[in-house]
Amino acid sequence: MENATVEILLIEDNMNDAELAIRAFRKGNINNSLIHLKNGADALEFLFGTGKFEGRDIKNKPKVILLDLKMPKVDGLEVLTKIKANEVTKAIPVVVLTSSNEHPDIERAYSLGANSYIVKPVEFDEFAKVVTDLGFYWLLKNQPPV
Amino acid sequence: MATRKKSVELINANEELAFQNEEKEKRAAELVIANKELAFQNGEEEKRIAELVIANKELAFQNEEKNKRAAELIITNKELVFQKEEKKKRAVELINSNKEVDELEKRVKERTEDLESFSYSVSHDLRTPLRVINGYANMLEEDYSSVLDAEGKRFLAEVRSNAKKMGVLIDDLLTFSRLGRQGIKKSRVDLNKLIETVLSDINQSFTHKAEIKFSNLLPAVADYNLLHQVFTNLLSNAIKYSSKREKPLIEIKSERKNGELIYSVSDNGVGFDMHYVHKLFGVFQRLHSNEEFYGTGVGLSIVHRIIHKHDGKVWAEGKEGEGATFFFSLPDRNDIKH
Repeated sequence: MENATVEILLIEDNMNDAELAIRAFRKGNINNSLIHLKNGADALEFLFGTGKFEGRDIKNKPKVILLDLKMPKVDGLEVLTKIKANEVTKAIPVVVLTSSNEHPDIERAYSLGANSYIVKPVEFDEFAKVVTDLGFYWLLKNQPPV
Repeated sequence: MATRKKSVELINANEELAFQNEEKEKRAAELVIANKELAFQNGEEEKRIAELVIANKELAFQNEEKNKRAAELIITNKELVFQKEEKKKRAVELINSNKEVDELEKRVKERTEDLESFSYSVSHDLRTPLRVINGYANMLEEDYSSVLDAEGKRFLAEVRSNAKKMGVLIDDLLTFSRLGRQGIKKSRVDLNKLIETVLSDINQSFTHKAEIKFSNLLPAVADYNLLHQVFTNLLSNAIKYSSKREKPLIEIKSERKNGELIYSVSDNGVGFDMHYVHKLFGVFQRLHSNEEFYGTGVGLSIVHRIIHKHDGKVWAEGKEGEGATFFFSLPDRNDIKH
């Protein structure tokens, strides 16, 4: 399981938001393998093969990371900083998830190397659309360097 | 002979006496003249003395006057010194009260900022549960509509439509609170192009049958995005409140007047009672029920806030059943070259 190919890594502490995001992918016919992690600490362990994910082949990189900014303990910006500071993980596209486009953290996220961001809209249909569009973009059009 | 001699002597003596007499008379006459002269000079001196006495008195008087004047000047001087001190005191008082005003302004600003950041975070955090309500209602509708009867579906539709309304309200509030915090970036704005963009955005988000007229609108120096927001709100309103007309007509005009640029959006819609005109631009103030025309009551307050930030004014004219015109002014900055 640990070494199965993961194409989409969703880091989101809100279970409801995660469920909606996963549903949006499926609705948009993005059936790529996806793993959902509930906090920043787990995400870092996953990406760097430590702790719970000790022994995972870190060369098996997700094609895209969807990262919620507002998480307890290790927040999204911290995760982003570590991803972009590491030679192995820094090329993975990171799409930041936020509740509104007014978030001052969006600017920080860009300066830390985020590739894009999604404002989680109130309307599910809209949410499904942006998630699908972005999923397609990063999974299909944008082939990350191997 | 002796007699003759004597006689000659006598004659001589007589002549001498006569001469002397004459001389004396001359002398007496001279003395009389001299005397007269002296008397005259004496009179002159007395006159002169009298004049000097008068002049002296005059000087004494002037001197006294000067003393009086000096005394008055001293008093005036004291008065001036006193006034100066009073002014200093007053200045200090003014500085102090200015400081108080500054302090008050600072506190008001802080409180406003607090309120704005509060309303911002509240609206922001409200979005999360709302998104979930809406998302799950949507899933319920998609996955379980076959097991819901008509009434169940209606309840679900109510949940969804109200979640949507709340979403709009929250977005409006976020926009409104952002305006309080955000600065403005001015540039020269071509209003004709801006209106075209606004209309194309509006036409994409909902369908309407309104005819919208505008031509040769005057350019303005303003924040493009904020002005875009102003026209989005004014035109959406105009379309909404004229939507029940058979031929909705909206006109956008501009004019230059008394150093200001005045823009207006008028429609032939339901209008409003001028009695309530003061309520139009308040937050959450509405003149229509949601059943008649849906709205959050934030749109015009956003317009008001934006125009106010540009040092302009907003106002409206209307008549119930005969349409409404919304005006706003911007300072005419055609002196600025861009």
